[in-house]
Order: sequence, then structure tokens, then C-alpha cells
Amino acid sequence: MAEYSWEVRSPLRNAFAPGRLGLASGDAGIALAEISDFSLVQVMARRGQVANVAKAAKKAWGVLPPEKPAAVVGKDATLIWTGPDQFFVLTAGSVPDPVPPLAVIFGGAASLSDQSGGRCLIRLSGSKVREALAKVSSVDLHDTVFPVGAAAATSIDHTGVNLWRGPDAADGHPAYSLLVFTSFADSLWHTLADAAAEYGVEATRTPLS
Amino acid sequence: MSRTSQISGDAAPLAFNDNPAADSRQPRSISTGTQSHRLSSGGQIDRKQPLGFTFDGKKMVGFAGDTLASALVANGIKLVGRSFKYHRPRGILTAGAEEPNALVELRGGARREPNTRATTTELYDGLAAESQNRWPSLRHDVMAVNSLFSPIFVAGFYYKTFMWPAKLWEKLYEPAIRRAAGLGKASGAADPDHYEKAWAHCDVLVVGSGPSGLAAALAAGRAGARVILAEEDSRLGGRLLSENGEIDGKPVAEWLAGAQREIAALANIRVMTRTAVFGVYDGGTYGAIERVNDHVPVPPAHQPRQRLWRIVAKHAVVAAGAIERPLVFPGNDRPGVMMASAVRSYINRFAAMPGRQVALFTNNDDGWRTAEAVQRAGGAVAAVIDSRGAAPERYRGLSAKLLGGVVSAVNGGVDCVRSIVVRDAGGRTQQIETDCLAMSGGWNPNVALSSFHRGRPVWRDDIAAFAPGQCPPGMVMVGAASGDFSLAACLREGHAAGEDAAKACGAKGKAGEAPKGDDEVFAIKPLWHVEGGKAFVDFQHDVTASDVKLAQREGFESVEHLKRYTTLGMATDQGKLSNVNGLALMAEATGRSIGDTGTTIYRPPYAPVAIGALAGHHRDENFHAWRLTPSHHWAAERGAVFVDTGLWKRAQWYPIDGEKDWLESVTREVLAVRNGVGFCDVSTLGKVDVRGPDAGIFLDRLYINTFSNLAVGKARYGLMLREDGLVYDDGTTSRLAEDHYFLTTTTAKAGPAMQHLEYCRQVLWPELDVQLTSVTDQWAQFSIAGPNTRDLLKNLCDPSEDLSNEGFPFMGVREVSLRGGMRARLYRISFSGEMAFEIGVPARYGEAMAENLMRAGAEFGVTPYGTEALGVMRIEKGHVAGPELNGTTTADDLGLGKMMSKKKDYIGRAMAGREALTAPDRQVVVGIKPVNKTNRLRSGAHIIPKGAAPGPETDQGYLTSVCYSPMLGHWIALALVERGRERHGEIVRAYDPLRGEDMDVEITSPVFYDPEGGRQRG
Repeated sequence: MAEYSWEVRSPLRNAFAPGRLGLASGDAGIALAEISDFSLVQVMARRGQVANVAKAAKKAWGVLPPEKPAAVVGKDATLIWTGPDQFFVLTAGSVPDPVPPLAVIFGGAASLSDQSGGRCLIRLSGSKVREALAKVSSVDLHDTVFPVGAAAATSIDHTGVNLWRGPDAADGHPAYSLLVFTSFADSLWHTLADAAAEYGVEATRTPLS
Repeated sequence: MSRTSQISGDAAPLAFNDNPAADSRQPRSISTGTQSHRLSSGGQIDRKQPLGFTFDGKKMVGFAGDTLASALVANGIKLVGRSFKYHRPRGILTAGAEEPNALVELRGGARREPNTRATTTELYDGLAAESQNRWPSLRHDVMAVNSLFSPIFVAGFYYKTFMWPAKLWEKLYEPAIRRAAGLGKASGAADPDHYEKAWAHCDVLVVGSGPSGLAAALAAGRAGARVILAEEDSRLGGRLLSENGEIDGKPVAEWLAGAQREIAALANIRVMTRTAVFGVYDGGTYGAIERVNDHVPVPPAHQPRQRLWRIVAKHAVVAAGAIERPLVFPGNDRPGVMMASAVRSYINRFAAMPGRQVALFTNNDDGWRTAEAVQRAGGAVAAVIDSRGAAPERYRGLSAKLLGGVVSAVNGGVDCVRSIVVRDAGGRTQQIETDCLAMSGGWNPNVALSSFHRGRPVWRDDIAAFAPGQCPPGMVMVGAASGDFSLAACLREGHAAGEDAAKACGAKGKAGEAPKGDDEVFAIKPLWHVEGGKAFVDFQHDVTASDVKLAQREGFESVEHLKRYTTLGMATDQGKLSNVNGLALMAEATGRSIGDTGTTIYRPPYAPVAIGALAGHHRDENFHAWRLTPSHHWAAERGAVFVDTGLWKRAQWYPIDGEKDWLESVTREVLAVRNGVGFCDVSTLGKVDVRGPDAGIFLDRLYINTFSNLAVGKARYGLMLREDGLVYDDGTTSRLAEDHYFLTTTTAKAGPAMQHLEYCRQVLWPELDVQLTSVTDQWAQFSIAGPNTRDLLKNLCDPSEDLSNEGFPFMGVREVSLRGGMRARLYRISFSGEMAFEIGVPARYGEAMAENLMRAGAEFGVTPYGTEALGVMRIEKGHVAGPELNGTTTADDLGLGKMMSKKKDYIGRAMAGREALTAPDRQVVVGIKPVNKTNRLRSGAHIIPKGAAPGPETDQGYLTSVCYSPMLGHWIALALVERGRERHGEIVRAYDPLRGEDMDVEITSPVFYDPEGGRQRG
């Protein structure tokens, strides 16, 4: 009997090799990272259950789900606004089916859909990150408008994305995370890498921590 | 703009740089060549940085800080181009973006760039420019004979002359005219440079960095607003770079340096130089073009050539300045005639003296500043001709010859003015020797941005010009752009507007005091036309004063008709210099006022924008985003041929060695499935999780058939209509739990269907407790088909899974365990008509699934197949798809009328009952076979009754889907045919005028293969 194995493959497996892209000299102005090994579940409150969903989230992760475009970092999970009465739960680690533990948390108060395979997570940082993102996103990323924790459901290159600003990177530069549909990931990566090329890009693959 | 310094003041007369060595700062080793008209000091050029360039192959030298035009002026070059229609010799007219004459071809090879304004082209070392629209050379242009025939080449000449025979227009007249009349030529090669687009956001956008713009930016910036200061030039300052005077008691250059330091120190002001704002769009969005690397021969690696900006601003202060207006007099287009303000720019900013004997022709006070500037720089003023007859108070002390009257002729050669004829009020004439005639007809406020939302400029007699009318929301015009020309007014208005805009955006800081400048008077007495010869209104399009009058005589009085009949204002300069003069002449000819005559509609772009910049990143392989299936790389590594279906790249077929064409590959794939087993990635189908207690009711309202009664663990085919009763989309929907359906759509409609579902949920039936999530990308889904499907699955699935017909019946659905520790969803549904399953795993396991399917099916010769084989098998089975669900068909047309429930309401039900949608003679889906089995069918061929003449009256339908059927051994088709279901067995014609084909075909049942459906249920 043949051996069957189920290796996870990244939608970006052919998009890049970790290392320097674009301008080769000087410090890279952009850190572009594929973030792997995450679980992502869409949570949508059922009719009349918004308060119960919020209560359950608070109990599970110590934070209330965002009521406006925002990303809230809780204990072991980030909750990202995706629309009225709905949000993503992003957690570290890849499991075949992340829904059952959330079904326990929310009981029947929410509809849950696994999106761990449906999205690719890309993170951008660096001294020129705003300049690069300004080439692809219409969102105003100025500190006063889009501070740490801000989020947007928007589009880049005609591709729907969830964009949010997480905690600043260790070097003090802002860090933006992007969830993009898996099938668009290869295309979007190229668009981002092209937009960032003039600043020099350090491309990496990192598991979500 | 101030003129506090007196002409007899402290500025020492400067010598011409006749001998380059005379400039002691010039390193001896570097030749500055023939800069015969370069002043030996002054200007904002760097004499330590000589830059070599060529014009029509002639080597010359300029300095850093020069434009191509100023370098040409410094080198004494006056002839730079030939005009569009008459091939008249032309020189540099302006020093800015409004230039109509000095258009050149820059660069070479694929980077060749025609029609580039020399006046805005920053000089770089090695720049190579060529003049345009001349042959064999600029000096000796054979097409200049056009000028001899100019009396007949008047406005409308082409339309009148080349009317008949009209069919020759495209083939003969237009190409010939275009060869003779025209500008530069595009390279014809792909542009090797990169262009991109970007967004910027601010509270206050300041357009222009002259005195008004700087005052506005400083006020808003100090107050704490987020400011963007956009400047078309490479430097800040606007007219301050070209004028003398004082601000806050300091010379303008000193004040400007201070202002720039303050702006640089304010982190909330973003300065964007080389950036022209060209359009105003809804919601405070402004279009701007940044010429990032136009000032270097080749952009540095990874940098764009140009960048198109969309600037989103809460408020905009437009300080776009004003454009000086030419005077319309005989010979006003000869090289050496130049705008008076341009002469000042070349002298003051670029230290280049346009002539050795400069004459000035003006109808207003401002023009006199040029005489002042020439003398300050040590040049000679041949005469000042003021049509008003007297010198303004302020210039009475100027030691220049004053003549009242007008310039009635300009004499000289191809390359330059030699003398002018001045005619006084009594008709007496005298000749003045001059090699440069500066002219000033007054100033036109640059109202373009204020008018892009249909704001109509308003005529003001006091300045003899149009001032801005109603501005778009959030915009104010200030300074010269609003018709207030004095330096003091510019500074005052700019400051106030900047402060107000910042406050309106919530900025709380102090804006400080407005800078102070001279409040000089602007007096003008219009002079619209001097009779006596060919006087040009539109230089670039060769429109003369008599053309405007001709247009009026022929009835083209409306300004929009005038524009189109004469092409006035339709050249690349969009009439920046010419429009108001043209309107004034029309007003004169019709006896109306200029205000009543009005302006043509203003439309963006204000300045030319390259198509490449509008395309930005979206060209070649980046023309649009692409979507890859979960097995894409696996398929690519197997050599699959991909096809673009929407944004998706799908495997179309998988050729193997020795196959000569696609048909052979596809036929092999079909036979492999029908006789064994194959699989196909169908992840592109739209997939939606429909959850919640009311999910069943939701689907009942959405589909024509019922889903609330579908058992958990079963799938059902569903059909949706549009509100108008026509078919919208189809697909199978499975019930995975009481409150969870898994809905699928076609690939093409995945996006729109999701929108439609959300619309129904949020707008039509908000009372339903149902939640929708697109999971198209979450699931890698494969169709496994063929008689050996179950055997393959037995290898793949855990042995505990019962896959027998009883354990897993047709249209059954459930989760199964796979070998190697994976859970998958298995659906027993068939598109191919074979025993088939679809299997779904999260997308990240998609490639592993493809590999494992190959492994599990190895002993049965499992064959991956592409979309072509998929299509062949569905046509053989008579399954409808996109070509039949084409927005014109009803459920009954597709043979699915019986699915329309009569027990419930659903979208489209009422409208589907319309007479036209239930008429008995509708075109319905049938099968088509060629009578001669060797004939190839073509999709799109029309169905015509035998014996009838083809035409709209006899047309009974057409072939929608066509393929070669490996199972039947000949071509087959699905078609939409009038009353088709009653006509099975009838012989008709498939008529294809496009390919010249006409053949007999038989109408059949659409199900060609296994009509009983035993194979898929077995």
C-alpha cells in the first residue's frame, strides 16, 4: 500500500525565495514576510446574539471583539473586524480543523467557518513601508488615522484584503498585516514586491507566533 | 510680485558671456562651449556643473539648473521647431508648461518621447533632443511650402476639400494629412520604463509654490494641519524664481530660502516637487503626475519613470498662478518673439539673455518689468511699444525708447527676428532693429482646476481676463490664480486661505503673520488684434485671427463650435495661451461681450499625462491580478497548458510526449475518464457557507427549487433566476448539518453570486437568521470521475469508509477519513455523467491531494484532465454551462422548467411568467449533429431552415457549445433553437457566414451519451 502524506503547501511557494529582493544596496527599506502556521476562523454572530458572542470572546481571550474596523490582541488570539457583527479569530499554529474548539467557546451564538486555507497572511514593515503601501492601497496609513490596532476591509490591486496595523516592529517601524484570498496570494505578493523593490526588500517566511 | 528695486539701483550691469573664459570661476578644463547668450553671473544655475547636450545633433553645453529651453536660449538658438500645419519656423515662446512651440523629441530608441516641452525639460548630461515636423532639416523644411498656400489652408480646409469621395478618407486623405501635419513620432516599441500609481492623503493640499502657495503652506503647516505642497517645477518658488523684489523687507531669493527652511523643518508638510496636479475628482480627490525620473536619461534600477498620484484632501488651496497672454499681431510667431514674462525668467532664473536688442510690446503695466529686467542684467532695450501710448508712472524713469502704437510687422529670417515695424495711431510706421521681441497681452488666471466640476469662469473687465467661478467643494483659488496679481495680495490671500483650511480641518496651532510684499497696481487696456497680416492665436495648431473670423462668418459662433471648427485650443497645450484671445476675437466679430461669449468646457487633464502613467503597474503580465488553483504548481510541473478563465489560470489540458495537438490530448483525457478514472481541479467554482437556523428558507427563496426539505448528507442541483425571470446561475448545494448548507456557483459567477446572496440577506430578508461566508478559497476541490472512481477512492480513504452504492448513494455527501490522517468532504455528484465524486480538503492540502490521487489511482491509470475534457464530457451529457446560461435563457429554455416550484415564492418567479418568457416559439436547448459526420461544427453558427435564405427573418437560433465527441466519433453541439424540443430529428442548416460555412445538421436530444444516466448512478 502506498504511503499517503498530507504536507501543507504555501500558495507563495513559487512566489519568492527568502532573501533580498529589488534594490540590492543599502539597508532594505521593506521587510516582507509570509506568515505561516496560523488558524483563522470567521465568526458571525447569529441574530440577536452579538452580546453573547462578545461575552464568549471576552471569556476566552480576555478582550471584546471589535465593533468597528480594528484588530484587538487578546490572550492567544487576535480578533480582526471583518464587517458588522463579524470578525476573524487568528491564532498561532496550524491544525486540520480549528472550528471545534471555537464551537465550544461560542456555543450556538455564532456561525463559524474555517478560513485557515482560504487566506494567506503577509506582513510588511520597514522604514519605507508606508511609501510602498501607498502604491497599492487607498487607505490613509498616517499615525493619526491608522494607529496600532486599526483595521480595514479594503482592496489592493482589485483583490479583497483585510489590512491591520499590529504592534510596531522591534526596530520601531510600523508593521501592517494583510490577509488575502489564497488564490490571489501569488499575484498580490508580486504586486507588493514590485511596489517595494525601489526601497530594497528583505523577504522571509516566519510562522505566526 | 514686487518691483521695489529701481532700474538705476545697485545691480551692476552684467556682461554677456561672449568669452567663456571671462568667467573666472569656470574651471579651464571644462569647455562651456558656445553659450553666447549666457550672463556671466546671477541666476539659479550652477556654473560649476556644465552639462553637455545635443539639439538636432549639434553639441552644446548648459549648466545644472537649466531647462532644455534655457540652455538653448543661452546658446543663442532661436529656431526650435516647425508648426503643425504650415510648417512655419517657430522659437521658444514661454518658460513654462504652457509652451506651444518648443516641442521636441527626447531620448532615442524605445525611450523616444515625442512632443516634449523644452521649457519643462530639466537639462541632464547627455540629453539628446531632436526638432519635429521638419524634413530634411529644421532650417530647410520642404513642407514649408504649405505656408505659401496658407491662404487656402484655412480652418475647415480639410473637411471642405477631402469630402468626396468619402471612402478615401481613411485610406488616403487622413494618412496623407497626418504625414504632412503633425508633431513627433512615438517609438513604436514597448516602453522599457516602469510607471506606477500611488495615493496620498492630507488635510490641506496646496497646489503651486509661488508666493500664494508658499504663504498658504506655511500658514496651514504652522497651524498643525497635514499639508501637501505640490509643485510642477523641480524647485519651489513659482514666479519668485523669475522676478526681482522684496518680501518682508528681504530680497525674494533670501525670503524664499527662509521659507523653504521653515517648510523643511515642519514634519507635517510634505513637499512634492516635479508634481503637476492635473485633475479634480469626486470627494476631494486630485490627480497629479510626478515626473520622478524624467530629469535623468534612464531611471535608476527599480525606480519608476513617472508616478500617478491620487491625492485625497479635505481642503485644497489652489495657487496655480496666471499665464501671460500673447498679443495677436502680424508675425507674432516668428522665432525671437517671446512672452515678456518668459524673457524675465530666462534672465533672472537662468542667466540667459534671449536677445542683444530686446524690444517690448505691451498693453499693460506688468510687461514693463521686462524692460526693467533686461536693463538690470546689462542688456539693451531697443524700444518699448505700449499700445496705451504712455509709460506707467512707475517706469517713467526708465531710460528706454517709448513708442505708442502697435507692432504691425515682424521682419527676419527663418531663424530669428531682425526688426519690427511699429505703427502709431496715425498710421505712420517706423522700423526698429531687434533680435528679441517680448510681448505681454495681460495675464490669464490659471482657472483650470476651479472649472473641472463645471464651474464657469467669470469675466473681469478690470484685469481683462476670466477669474474662477464656482470652485469644486473644498477648493479655494488664491493669488494670481484668482485674478489678484500683486505680490502683497498673493501673500495675504495665500496665508488666509492656508489658515482657514487648517482650522476647518481642526488644526489648533497659530498660523503666524502673513508675509508682506509690494501692493503694485495692475493696469491694462485690452488690445485683441492688430490687423495687417497673418497673426496667430493658437500657435500650436496654427489658428490665426482670420480663421476665427472665418468661423464666425460660416456660422460657428458658439465657442464649442469655434473650437472644433478651427481646432483652437485642441492641441497638447489645450489653449493655455490661445483660448482667451480666440474668445475675444469671436466676441468682437459677433458684437457680444467676452463674458457673454463664454468659455469652452474645461476638462482634465490640465497637463499632458502619459498613457503609461495611467496604466501604471498594470501592463504585460501585471495587466490584471491572477488567481491560482490549489494544484496550480503541481499542474505546471506536469506541463499543463493553462487558460485564463476570468482571473483564474486553469489547467486546460495536460499534453504528453508525442501528442501533436490539443485535440489529441483532450480526446485521450476524455477516453481515460470514460474508460477508467481521471480527476480535475474544480476549486474555481464559487463556494459559500450558508449557516444559521433560517438557511433552508433563505435558499428556498433564492432558488427555483426547494432546499429546506433537503436531508442532511444530501446534495441537490439548484437554479437561480434573476428578478427579471431569466436564469442567473446554477450549481449543487449540499446540506452538511441542520443549520449548514454548502452552496456552489459557477466559476464565472462566484463573485457576483456572493454579492447577490449578501444583498438578499442584508437588504431583502434581514429578518432571516442566516450567515454567509465565501469559502471558495478555503477548499481545494477535485472532481474524480470514471468507472474506476470508487476503486481509487478505496485506496485513498480509510478502510472503514463504506463507498458502496448503498453506503454512499448518488447525491450523497459526508465527511470521510483518508489514509495518512486527513479528513475530507466527499460529494457524490457528477458533471461528466460518469460515476463521479468531488472531494474537498482545505486549500493548503490541495497539492498533496493531487499527488495522493495520482498515488491512489496509479494502478488504474488515473489521468488528470483539464477544462477542455471537462467541457467535452458535459456537452456529451447535455449539461448546460456558461454559453447556455447566457442571460437570455429561462429555466424552461434549458430544459429545467420542471424544477420551478409552484409551492413557494422565489426570486424571479413572477417575472418568469411573462408572456415573452413562456412563449412556445422560444429558442430552447437541443443537441446538434452534422449530417456529414466528417464536418466540424462551429459555435456561433446560425440555425436556418433548409431551403430558406439566411437572414434575420429565417434565423432560428445558434450553436452555443461545440466539441469533438470522442465517444460518438464526430463533432457535436448544444444549440438554442426555436421550438427545438418539438423538432428532434429535423434536418436544418448550420450557417456560419463568418467562416463561410454552410452544412446540414440534425436536431437531436441534448443528451448524446448515456441518456439513461446509468453510468453515474452505478
